[in-house]
Amino acid sequence: MAYEFRLPDIGEGVAEGEIVQWFVREGEAIREDAPLVSVLTDKANVEIPSPKTGRVVRLHAAVGEKVKVGGLLVTIDTGSAGTGAAPPAPLSAPARGSPAPSATPSTAPAPAGPAAPASSSPPDRILASPFVRRRAAELGVDLSRVRGSGPAGRILESDLPAGAVPIPAAPVAPTAPARTATAPARSEGPDSITRIPIRGIRRVIAEHMTESKHKAAHFTYVEEIDVSELVRLRDRMAPHVEKQGVRLSYLPFIVKAVVQGLREQPNLNATVDDEHGELWVHSAYQIGIAVAGPEGLIVPVVRNADTKSVLLLAREIQGLAERGREGKLTRAELTGSTFTITSLGALGGVLATPIINYPEVGILGVHKIVRRPVYRSDGSIGPADLMNLSISVDHRMLDGIVAAQFLAVVKANLEDPHRLFADMA
Amino acid sequence: MANAVSPPSAPLDSGATPLSAEQRLSFYRTMVLSRAIDERCLSLQRQGRIGFYVPASGQEGAQIGCAAALEPDDWIFPAYREIGLALWRGIPFRTLLDQFIGNAEDIMKGRQMPNHYGFRDKNFVVASSPIGTQITQAVGAAMAIQRRKAATVTATFFGDGATSSNDFHAGMNFAGVFRTPTIFFCQNNQWAISLPRERQTRSSTLAQKAEAYGFPGVVVDGTDVDAVYRAVRSARERAVRGEGPTLIEAQVYRYGPHSTSDDPRRYRADEELQAWKRRDPILRLKELLLSSGQWTEAKDAALLDEVRAQIAQAIEAAEAVPPVAPATLFEDTFARRTPQLEEEKAAFERLVQEGVIRP
Amino acid sequence: MTEMTLVQAVNRGLHEAMKGDPDVLVLGEDVGVDGGVFRATEGLIKEFGPDRVIDTPLSECGIVGTAIGMALYGLKPVAEIQFLDFIYPAFDQIVSELAKFRFRSGGQYPCHVVVRAPYGGGIKGGLYHSQSTEAYFCHTAGLKVAIPSTPADAKGLLLSAIHDEDPVIFLEPKRIYRAVSGEVPDGDHRVPFGSARTVVPGDDVSIFAYGAMVPVATEAAEALRGEGISAEVVDLRTLVPLDEATVLASVEKTGRAVVVHEAARFCGFGAELSAILAEKAFYSLKAPIARVTGFDTPFPYALENVYLPNAARVAHAARATVRSG
Repeated sequence: MAYEFRLPDIGEGVAEGEIVQWFVREGEAIREDAPLVSVLTDKANVEIPSPKTGRVVRLHAAVGEKVKVGGLLVTIDTGSAGTGAAPPAPLSAPARGSPAPSATPSTAPAPAGPAAPASSSPPDRILASPFVRRRAAELGVDLSRVRGSGPAGRILESDLPAGAVPIPAAPVAPTAPARTATAPARSEGPDSITRIPIRGIRRVIAEHMTESKHKAAHFTYVEEIDVSELVRLRDRMAPHVEKQGVRLSYLPFIVKAVVQGLREQPNLNATVDDEHGELWVHSAYQIGIAVAGPEGLIVPVVRNADTKSVLLLAREIQGLAERGREGKLTRAELTGSTFTITSLGALGGVLATPIINYPEVGILGVHKIVRRPVYRSDGSIGPADLMNLSISVDHRMLDGIVAAQFLAVVKANLEDPHRLFADMA
Repeated sequence: MANAVSPPSAPLDSGATPLSAEQRLSFYRTMVLSRAIDERCLSLQRQGRIGFYVPASGQEGAQIGCAAALEPDDWIFPAYREIGLALWRGIPFRTLLDQFIGNAEDIMKGRQMPNHYGFRDKNFVVASSPIGTQITQAVGAAMAIQRRKAATVTATFFGDGATSSNDFHAGMNFAGVFRTPTIFFCQNNQWAISLPRERQTRSSTLAQKAEAYGFPGVVVDGTDVDAVYRAVRSARERAVRGEGPTLIEAQVYRYGPHSTSDDPRRYRADEELQAWKRRDPILRLKELLLSSGQWTEAKDAALLDEVRAQIAQAIEAAEAVPPVAPATLFEDTFARRTPQLEEEKAAFERLVQEGVIRP
Repeated sequence: MTEMTLVQAVNRGLHEAMKGDPDVLVLGEDVGVDGGVFRATEGLIKEFGPDRVIDTPLSECGIVGTAIGMALYGLKPVAEIQFLDFIYPAFDQIVSELAKFRFRSGGQYPCHVVVRAPYGGGIKGGLYHSQSTEAYFCHTAGLKVAIPSTPADAKGLLLSAIHDEDPVIFLEPKRIYRAVSGEVPDGDHRVPFGSARTVVPGDDVSIFAYGAMVPVATEAAEALRGEGISAEVVDLRTLVPLDEATVLASVEKTGRAVVVHEAARFCGFGAELSAILAEKAFYSLKAPIARVTGFDTPFPYALENVYLPNAARVAHAARATVRSG
């Protein structure tokens, strides 16, 4: 499609300009914002960039010629109408400064869960009141995926999915501040300070952590789990699973065990609505998994974890983690969790006080597995694989006993992992 | 011709006025000051140093004669052309100039156009621009004086144009009905901007309008300060005795434009102006003072020098005062700010801080 | 407490103020011997004499102009304009003078006058005995505007007006002068300015009204309750100063707003209220704000019943608002 570019009004009172130099020839491709022409006005010599990407069809003025403001400068075939004449624009140019989707703390809403009736082609215009838009943004609901039941399809508050929960950020931030990465190995001479702006994801994390600590009354409880049996089970399963291209960690098992625990303690699979003084207990198990992103911890969500097999969970977690590291997770994948697991990785520690992924009410920290001698029930001493789990709960909503009972169920399932397979429905 | 109330440059009839030489001299000094301020302020306006000005030249005799005949407790309800009254009431030129500039020391806090001032401690009510509105207010204040049984009066000032306004008629009527202690002092300066006195009303005098409202109206030569003084004094005595209001029409001529936004050459002939200038109130009083031996040309020259120096000094001082503080905008709309005004004030201050509004 | 009508409550308020302060006086057309065309000043001249209950010549600019002069001199005049429709000769005095004295004098001249005027339709008054033009006064900086809807508020707001330091336009809903009666506290009962009254609490929609529209809104709320719609009715009581906090809290709760006044819609007070809600309660709004008002025509005589908002129109608008989102 031919685009005709006319000399714009490039300065107060400028009436015409003289062509000093063309930076392209007819037939050449040009990208938007690339230098197009240099024009001398009675005020200044001005370089005008191309307004379009495409192929230069015709230059309408020769060097030295004068063009009035509004006069035709160049015709560019933008190729967008499928004429086939234009060569593909060099779109492979690096996308300068375009942030990874997950790294954008935008307010773009995302689908929240299975309750949201997905529509394959979102309507051009979403009908929703300011109030519903605000609620949706708070809940991370993508209104384009919600079918409205109001007049003319207007989305009402009651149309928002019941499982929707406010947008989470990363729960725990065990990594040291980025400053240490650039700190000199040895401290000599005057102190030099590297000032790192708290921006983007880091800032969202910071605000979210503060909010959580400020609002939730954190209570942390730690339990030691003998995972010897689980280690054996995983070792047996791993080769099988890996044939399918999936690395099998302990996390899928822990997710399954957590679901069992949540079934016993449903109020832990919940979010707080502080504004209205309500605890929203969710029926769907949307398990957030804290993973490292390029700019800090992020929490992709495993949807409906109760319905998925260990293999499926493994595949999904691996995919989420990989894309998380690459900063490729979508907003939809990062919102709507109802309970969060944070794996403290290979370092793993002994005990942590994880910060709740507010407005959730519980978070489970997973520590490293260590082999230690233990007394068995028969009095013998032998090696065992031990792992600690730290859980923080919002003591405003739940008593400590709930955390303890939840961990007891998780412990039972992990110590005797065969139980996990009883629950495959 | 109604304008010709006395022959040009006639000697003042000094015999009937119980004025002392010292009183006349102080009239004269104030009239000279008033004229000098007028001349200087017109040029300040042309230089952009004040925004606007309403000259009173030619009306000094009427203004000082009237002001002098009132007592300090009498309330003045002025129009905006009353600088002679303000000066006689003891308001320093510097204070008026602060108002003309609208600086931080302006008692009106920079809110009103030049010449729209008022000073509560001088019983000089603040002027407004709508024509005639002060007239009913003066009558109301006189009703309050009646209620307080005070031996004072209110005097309200307006021009020939205002005699066509609603408030003139309402005020005159209320004053007649309630016999209020009010002096209606009309300075008929012959022109309401471009409209001549003859086109303002078919009445042969403005003063005769009082008759319809049931009280006396008198015409007085406003270029004769003594005559004005006598007329006002007698109206005041009537009022204090409980005999009700009086309308005084002081016939004068506005030498300058209606305001600095006006060019009188568009609507009136210079001959008329020159004819009136031949019986200039200041000139007439000066001749009386000279002929009676109370004054000399040398003293006159010295007075003018002194007055001009005083004015220059005031200008220098007033221009050194910083502009009125922006936040004062949010004072005095109400006794206390409403929540809405509090909110607007806070928003305003933020915009100032952010440099969006630049005071 | 004494049971009385709204107009009696106005009378009692004036009486209370005059009894308590010799500087308070009443002036206007037919306010003395006749006791006012609506009898609001009945009996006052007998008790306080013609010096304090002043029958004036027929000139509104004279009434308000002289009242201003009295106030400047230290009295506390309460001027009556016989009908709000006749206030315009005094408009210059009210808008150019009364509203601006304090400001234009740099605070030297407070000018406290209460201007009372019966307003509004419903008495077969046609174009010139029915109008509801409160918005003119609300739009003028420096004036307070109070409109009672109950006898108790009529006395309480009037006494607050008379003891205020600023000029007050006090508009009395003449249609309900005698149609409503209620308990009125004895003595110096004052209702503070800027405090709206929640007449009926509710959760689904907020209905804002004042003056004669408050009973209409209340009737609508009762009808809606039968349909399962919980409407909150808020009586603004003073338009200036406006109790924004109560207004906003109500809409933050209900998410829906219906503004009712009998004045014409365009640039009426409802426009201001709607703008405030749009600015400050936008993210609480579940539905567009609705206005139920008089029409943008002059006030009609024979058709006043269809011109004036009634409970059916208010309920209709509230229902539509609730259904829309």
